[in-house]
Amino acid sequence: MAKENAVEKEKEMTQEGFDPKILGFFCHWCCYAAADSAGVSRYQYPPNVRVIRVMCTGRIDARFVVEAFRCGADGVFTGG
Amino acid sequence: MTEASRQLLEDCGVDSDRLSLEWASAAEAPRFVELITGYVSKIRDKGPLGSSDGEVSRDTIKRRLAAAVKAAGARKPRTLLGNLAKKLSKSGDYSKEAIANGVKAKVLPAMRSERISHELRILLSEAPLDMKSLCTQTGASAEELEKIMAPLVKKGLISQKKGKIALVAGE
Repeated sequence: MAKENAVEKEKEMTQEGFDPKILGFFCHWCCYAAADSAGVSRYQYPPNVRVIRVMCTGRIDARFVVEAFRCGADGVFTGG
Repeated sequence: MTEASRQLLEDCGVDSDRLSLEWASAAEAPRFVELITGYVSKIRDKGPLGSSDGEVSRDTIKRRLAAAVKAAGARKPRTLLGNLAKKLSKSGDYSKEAIANGVKAKVLPAMRSERISHELRILLSEAPLDMKSLCTQTGASAEELEKIMAPLVKKGLISQKKGKIALVAGE
C-alpha cells in the first residue's frame, strides 16, 4: 500500500505538476492592503493563495491553522 | 500562537515550514509579491501535504489533525499558553529561542497529550485495538498511552479487556 501511495504521489507531482492550495490570513491594515496595492499596480504573482481577511493577525487562533491543514491546505500563510 | 501551532503540527507529523508568518506593511506591495512568490515556490517544491521529508502519510496526518484541532481548543494548553505569554511579557524576552523553548517546555506536553487522547478515541471508534497498534498509530510510547488512558478509563469512556482496548458503547 505504501508503494501505491508513492506511485500516486509521483504522478500527482510530475504529470500535471503540483498546484499548491494555500490558505492566507491577511491582516486588513497591512498585508491585505499590500496585496490590494500589488493588484492595483498590476504586479504578477502566483494565484495559489486563497485569502481570508482578518482585522488583525492577533485574531488568528491555532485552531484555524490546524483546521486549514486538516481540510487539505498544503500551506498556510499568515501576513501581518 | 504561531510557535504553538508549529510545534503542534510537528507533533502531528506535518512539516511546520508549511506555516509561514510574514510582515508586509501596506506600502510594501513589491515585498509582498516577493514573499508570496517565494512561499508558493517553496510549497510547490515540498509537494502536497504528506510528501515532505519527515512527514507521515496523508491519511495519518488527516486523522492526527482532526485530533489536533480538538487539542488546540482544549482548555489546558490554552491556559498554559496564556501563562507563558504573561511570563514572557514580564521578562520582556521575546526572542525566538525564549518563545520556542517556552512553548516546548510548557505548552507542547499538554497539546501532545490532548492530541493523543483524541486520536485514541478516533482510532477506537473504528475498531477495538491492542496497545501495540495504538502505539504505532499515535506515535506515542506505551507509558505515555497508559498515562493518557487512565483518566479516560476512570470516566468510563474506554475499557481495557484481555489486552484489547475499546470505546465504551453509548459515547
